Amino acid sequence: MNRPARALSHGFWTCLGCRQLVTVPRETRTCLCPRCGARMHARVDGSIMLTWALTITGALLLIPANILPVMTVIYLGSGDPSTIIGGTLELYHNGLWGIALIVFVASVAVPVMKLVGLVILCLIVQLRLNVAPRQAMRIYRVVNAIGRWSLLDLFMISILVALVDMGAIAEVAAGAGSTAFATVVVVTMFAVRAFDPRLIWDIYEEKMSAVEAENISQSHQDQSGERA
Amino acid sequence: MGQDSGQDSAHIQPGASRPWKRACHQCDLLLTRDHAPVGQRLMCPRCGATLHRNMERSVAHTAALSLSGLLLFIPSATLPLLEFSLFSFGAENTLLNGVQALFAAGYLWLASLVLFCSVLAPLGKFLLLAFISWGSAWASLAKPVARALRWYLHLQEWGMLDVYLLGILVALVKMSDLGKMSVEPGLYCFVAMMVVSSAATVSFDAETVWARLARRAATAGSKKDPEAAQ
Repeated sequence: MNRPARALSHGFWTCLGCRQLVTVPRETRTCLCPRCGARMHARVDGSIMLTWALTITGALLLIPANILPVMTVIYLGSGDPSTIIGGTLELYHNGLWGIALIVFVASVAVPVMKLVGLVILCLIVQLRLNVAPRQAMRIYRVVNAIGRWSLLDLFMISILVALVDMGAIAEVAAGAGSTAFATVVVVTMFAVRAFDPRLIWDIYEEKMSAVEAENISQSHQDQSGERA
Repeated sequence: MGQDSGQDSAHIQPGASRPWKRACHQCDLLLTRDHAPVGQRLMCPRCGATLHRNMERSVAHTAALSLSGLLLFIPSATLPLLEFSLFSFGAENTLLNGVQALFAAGYLWLASLVLFCSVLAPLGKFLLLAFISWGSAWASLAKPVARALRWYLHLQEWGMLDVYLLGILVALVKMSDLGKMSVEPGLYCFVAMMVVSSAATVSFDAETVWARLARRAATAGSKKDPEAAQ
């Protein structure tokens, strides 16, 4: 019985607003944190369902975000709209491979990685997969940290729209894809917020105690076998 | 629905019994320590999450950094960041006119997102930090400060000055073959504001502020005990 103690099974909740440990009676479903006044739950309310919903929304929105053009650079009256991937390729062909790499990572790799990571995390919790919880935590932390960088492309568009505005000579216009892309970023950021990493450890805990109970019953059987 | 919060608030007690002082917010492991020693970090031994970072003189540093951030916000929002010239035409970019251009083009959602992440959230962060670090010195401000602390937590991840700076860099390189791009004084203020913003985030420690609030309440609470009345 030397397993680490879990706060929930000792009747404690942690307030996610101020991270204070609070003693809560067993049957309580929700209450307000006595210190900071945030609404508390034992685990984030409807965490997996909300994460699934937001992740699927993000994945669906990623399609228009990549098909529709995000930006059009019009130079001397001509110019065709470019998608996110098209813009990256253009930078690469112009020999700016360093910047191309930054843009590729921020606006192509990061959203896809984030969605894949969220799906993996949801599957781990939902299907109770046998994944080392530390590995799952690593996925969670990476997904949490990289999320904000995908807004890079949108900031760049807003800068260029203001900067390159010379009527017939040169102009940069935003495209419909940028709206979809902005929504992808926001929705996935909320999805990461909705996911509660403590669920990973709850499942791990349950599995460990099941294994322990099995061991105990096995040793009992062995003992009775010896006696017989 | 669950029970009403007012009804059972008598059973809900802050803090915890005997050995346990804190639980990891990412893996729910109970711990017997709640504060890191000054200048060090408290990490969860099981999942490795940073639970508490105790910076030296956190409140004083945060107060100073948030004030300088507010001062730096004025030039970075008003001075142009970049200038682009092509033939004899020229245009400047400030923090706000990109948002304006997007707004005028009808991209309301995109414009408000950019406005929020690059202007409102950083400004709000500085204002809240300044209010928290100065306001925590008065016991009468305990409630607004607690609310500000909660807002700060929600606002924190939406301030994206660093991402915006990288966006400026990409725009600078991307358009340099089309026309002439030049860096304007506003950009230096912007970089300074970004550095100050990150430094304020690192130096800020909510735990210290909560401890400070509790101390003020204890000294001022001898007459009425405001905690129990809540």
